[in-house]
Amino acid sequence: MRVRIPGLYIVLGLVLAGLIHIVAVLTLPMLAPKSAHARLATLGPANAMIELPAAAPGRQIMPLMAPDVRYAFCRFDLTNGPVRLKATVADELWLIALYTPEGENFYSVAGADMKRAEIDLVIAAADQTVEEAGVDAPESSDDVIVVNSPVTEGIALIRAPLAGPSRATGAERALRSTSCGPYTKSG
Amino acid sequence: MDTNRLTSVLPTNSPLVLAPSQATPWREEEASHSMRSLAYFIGTFVAALMLGIGSAWYMIERGSLLTTTKVGPWSGWISEGNPNADPYTKAHVARSGRLPLTSTVARYFVARTDSAGRTLTSACEYSVEGSPLNARWWSLAVYDENGGLIENPSARYSFNSEEALRHSDGTFRINLSSKARPENWLPSGTADQHLVLLLRIYSPRETDASGIGLIPGDRLPKIERKECE
Repeated sequence: MRVRIPGLYIVLGLVLAGLIHIVAVLTLPMLAPKSAHARLATLGPANAMIELPAAAPGRQIMPLMAPDVRYAFCRFDLTNGPVRLKATVADELWLIALYTPEGENFYSVAGADMKRAEIDLVIAAADQTVEEAGVDAPESSDDVIVVNSPVTEGIALIRAPLAGPSRATGAERALRSTSCGPYTKSG
Repeated sequence: MDTNRLTSVLPTNSPLVLAPSQATPWREEEASHSMRSLAYFIGTFVAALMLGIGSAWYMIERGSLLTTTKVGPWSGWISEGNPNADPYTKAHVARSGRLPLTSTVARYFVARTDSAGRTLTSACEYSVEGSPLNARWWSLAVYDENGGLIENPSARYSFNSEEALRHSDGTFRINLSSKARPENWLPSGTADQHLVLLLRIYSPRETDASGIGLIPGDRLPKIERKECE
């Protein structure tokens, strides 16, 4: 009898540990110290392109940021309609990526994969068709990339990897000329 | 009178006489038994709590066979940033405070130890030797334990594919050291602390069957410890 009790408790303990493990995996993300979305939200308004300061010791918006990449982001909010992101991609290393607030990267495009340097990206929620919002004539819509977003609020992040330290100024200038704002027909 | 009668009625070797003297140790045993049960229960609960939360924490922070590929000192999350990722990877990304590119576009590999498994520290000097990586761009950066860049006079925090000096066969060596070194010197700072190396590989040219960027294990740099202070 005495021998059997610890065995039973070990089984009970393992089952309990398994349940606690599952609950912990599902709740730990919510107990995140500070999400990337929350960090970026403190830097400026939604639907505007904001440049991140170059990562330096003691001055990093996000942990493990690349010191040799320049970043600009737009915290998009589709509540009042689609959002348009326009950029002139300075070199083929550029990467444009769209994220949910939890950091899931649901869309990305590399500079090298684009036919032209000017990128015109319209981010729309699932229930927003860009036709409704007044899209341009079909023949010109080749130049417009419409991305259906699974979330009404998220982040568009442009990465400009540097080919060398001397390229930083040029990359920062190029990022400054990108734009993000509510989608309008004339855009 | 009554007691006399009672004793006279009962035989001296009757079990009834023996019963009261037995009862006390039996009750004590029951009490110690339930005490032990309570101790077992509390012990089981505490152990289950530690095991459940500890294993969840470890599998989210450091990964497991289910979620990460480990090659020598390097560890990379297979589905990092992917919207269809498993709950561990999703929790890892959400907790990291980072915005990693999905693993079909970029791969990230983290090293906290040298190739021999010893923790990376600023007290030691390391030689990081690598082969060419089949990708559009890569960068190797050093951080402190909290993912912060390390202060140094030359403001050098990383080497990338465009700027690292390479040998004629395409291989490269990065010298991770607190003191100035020739070739590619990646300063590890003057503060005595643990180090984290992060290798980010953008647009790998090879992919696996599910489209995830493929970096053959033997292509990842070797981290060799040199002298220590």
